[in-house]
Amino acid sequence: MWKRLLLIRGAELAMFVVLLALPLGINNPYFLGLLTLLAIYGILLIGLDVSVGYLGQINLAQSAFLGLGAYAAGIMLARWNCGFITCCIGGTAFAVAMGALLALPSLRLEGPQFALATLSFTAVTVIFLNESEWLTNGAQGLTVPRPPLFGHDLSPKEFYWLCMALMALTWIAMRNLLASQWGRAFEALRDSPIATDAMGVGTYRHKVAGFALGSGLGGLAGALYAFNFQYLQPQTYTYDLTVILLLGVVLGGRKSLWGAFVGATLVALLPNLLSNRTLFIGISAAGLVFSIIAAARGLLRRTTKPFQALAPVVATGVLVAGGALVSNTEDWRRAIFALMLFSVVVGLPEGLMGFASKFLTNLFRIPPQVLPEPSPLESVLPERRERTATPILEMRDLKRWFGGVKAVDGLSMKILSGQIHGLIGPNGSGKSTVVNVVSGLYTPTSGELVLRGETLPSGSLLKTSRAGVARTFQNLQLFTGMNALENVMVALRGAYPVSRNLPLVLLGLGRREEARARADALALLEFVGLRKEALTPARDLTYGAQRFLEIARAVARKPDVLILDEPAAGLSHMDIQRQMEVIKKVRDRGVTIVLIEHHMDVVSGLCDVVTVLDGGKLIAEGSPAEVKRNPKVIEAYLGEVESKPALPTATA
Amino acid sequence: MLVVNELHAGYGLSEVLSGTTLTVKAGTVVALIGANGAGKTTTMRAISGMIRPSKGSVTLEGRPVQTLSAARIARLGLAHSPEGRKVFGPLSVEDNLLLGAYRRLPHFFGFQARAAADLDHVYKLFPRLKERRKQLAGTLSGGEQQMLAIGRALMARPKVMLLDEPSMGLAPVIVQEVFRTIERLKSEGMTMLLVEQFAKMALAVADYGYVMERGRIAVEGTPAELRQNEKVLAAYLG
Repeated sequence: MWKRLLLIRGAELAMFVVLLALPLGINNPYFLGLLTLLAIYGILLIGLDVSVGYLGQINLAQSAFLGLGAYAAGIMLARWNCGFITCCIGGTAFAVAMGALLALPSLRLEGPQFALATLSFTAVTVIFLNESEWLTNGAQGLTVPRPPLFGHDLSPKEFYWLCMALMALTWIAMRNLLASQWGRAFEALRDSPIATDAMGVGTYRHKVAGFALGSGLGGLAGALYAFNFQYLQPQTYTYDLTVILLLGVVLGGRKSLWGAFVGATLVALLPNLLSNRTLFIGISAAGLVFSIIAAARGLLRRTTKPFQALAPVVATGVLVAGGALVSNTEDWRRAIFALMLFSVVVGLPEGLMGFASKFLTNLFRIPPQVLPEPSPLESVLPERRERTATPILEMRDLKRWFGGVKAVDGLSMKILSGQIHGLIGPNGSGKSTVVNVVSGLYTPTSGELVLRGETLPSGSLLKTSRAGVARTFQNLQLFTGMNALENVMVALRGAYPVSRNLPLVLLGLGRREEARARADALALLEFVGLRKEALTPARDLTYGAQRFLEIARAVARKPDVLILDEPAAGLSHMDIQRQMEVIKKVRDRGVTIVLIEHHMDVVSGLCDVVTVLDGGKLIAEGSPAEVKRNPKVIEAYLGEVESKPALPTATA
Repeated sequence: MLVVNELHAGYGLSEVLSGTTLTVKAGTVVALIGANGAGKTTTMRAISGMIRPSKGSVTLEGRPVQTLSAARIARLGLAHSPEGRKVFGPLSVEDNLLLGAYRRLPHFFGFQARAAADLDHVYKLFPRLKERRKQLAGTLSGGEQQMLAIGRALMARPKVMLLDEPSMGLAPVIVQEVFRTIERLKSEGMTMLLVEQFAKMALAVADYGYVMERGRIAVEGTPAELRQNEKVLAAYLG
């Protein structure tokens, strides 16, 4: 535990101490300029990494936010004579507002469409800055003096220290954020937006908030940029810069503060690197040697495919050869950027830091996190004793049509509290549609849903989940990149008051709740029998364990009603027995359960009442034994159970 | 027909199969059963070339195929109906089926006419698919999608078929129908390797059975022998 903390925090501390101490020893203004730029780009790239890394969106607008922050601060200073701090806050706030404005419509889009939306935003921004001469002085540029801070004129060194301190603060705030419910929400929504909403974590609002935050950091970097260069020109903030920034993030390593820092170093050094041919060839050659070693190691251990290993070797080789052949590397810079980007994307998809962190974890044997003692179950899933047989969830004449297909056609049913209510029927009878309508994934065509006497919101997974209906997914929707514990912790969001408040989280006040969330999540994993697998990534769990994790995650919502959508599908006999025990335990805690299942053993063994659907309509309802005897059910669903024991319907 | 010898395979650095050996004779149905995570699906994927085995061999009609790509193995006569069906959702039922015959028939001219006989055969086996031939595969019910996946595999006129969990998520009445289809294909002489959680039903149609545990074959034998093995009985046959 201490070793881990010491190594990780120690490395960060050492880096900042060295960076802050550097100007004391070296009195070279050119070098100081580079360091200042490094701090500014560091803030900018940490911001860009929020959208590119954590939200998984291609963001081509970060250069525009740098420009907007720079101009906002510059104009506030030049026209209205605002102070240093006011200008920085103004630049940041303006970029946050513009970021939110861009994100609100365009984050409804995905992938390439979103990239195009941000690209057009950059275009509009640059043109606007260029043409609004009355405000920005247009192409002639805007001269900005460096304002005093608390009446003190900042020397270049002092300005550098200020920038570096701001980068350190950004780093710490970001680390606080990423280690909180927010960071997990970002991870989760990338893996499965549907499940994220279903766990009561609003995908869309987290995306917008995250994007606006990243844009705000771009704006802060912009304000510092303006005071650093003291001269602003619209043409600085075009696509060229955006591409270099993306290169920085991807090369450094996405989803990593260190990665953003490595990328910033690269972006700050790149222009100087290219103007010095010897240096360029030297560094390319170092890259070539490095990629040859990595390729050989990967091929020997069979961890990389030949193509993946060779691509960076070829690309860096071309860089070395090109550096030797081309007389002026400056003229070829775009081609060089493109080649570097190519070799990184192909050869090091996780970037330099992704590669290095794996390597360092092995080298120093950084121990995995230590798990706390699980919380008492009573505090995580309080037992509820209710008068039984009161209707808790009601469907009234529910209909859902797809074009001409009447998937659910006038279904009315009552689910009584504390019961396990089975829902069975042939494939295509509308069971899945009922689940999707009740859980809010689909909007009903008509009809009403009532939970505890109040109308249940329809057509929103998020609202339904927050109202107290949780669900699992037939075709597993786990957050595959996160471990089992984190999967459950995502669903615990909302149970802790401080963690909901973004500024408090940034200040690092959410830690105590975070520790409690871990203990709570562990209690739930223990409840379903997955305590040992807590730190295993969900994608590496066995299929059976994944099904159990789905249940633990949904139970973490402390739901009134839990909908289990074919929880036993594809499970072996032994796992089914264990799962039935778990479902009974959940019911015994007072959670009402709706169970969709094809294994008749499970249905008979667990359910108090069974409803049978066919063609979107209810054809039978009653105790499992009654339903099994019903001729309509035998014909539509069970088939020849009694007559031909060679083809049993059960778990056998 | 299909011989798997000491097969090792896995994902990334984690090894799932550690020396699986099994044989499927021509014209027989072989059942592969076992707990979740034992490596049944991975075995299927390693045989059909969807993942590359790290050690061991797979021979199809005496020809080693473990180094070939999935597409090449398919052209050699091995059809894989994957777990979870994986039909082409945005295409019609008939287009899904025609794609199954894609590599087998010459292209461009008269493709549909040539495939007509095979289509007829599949439609006779699954009349439901004929009714829905113009419907998009993604809008079919789970049972119909499973039939479509089997039908698509049949269109390639395979020598061996791998069926991975054909009963998963299906209503009992549909499961019975799927198994009747498997019996019918068997009577037509099709060679099949069947992975199934409904171990009892799988053994009812199979000529031979293997039980997998942690990446290896733990027990093998005829269905009658397996039914008498107490360990197998307790763990898998309930």
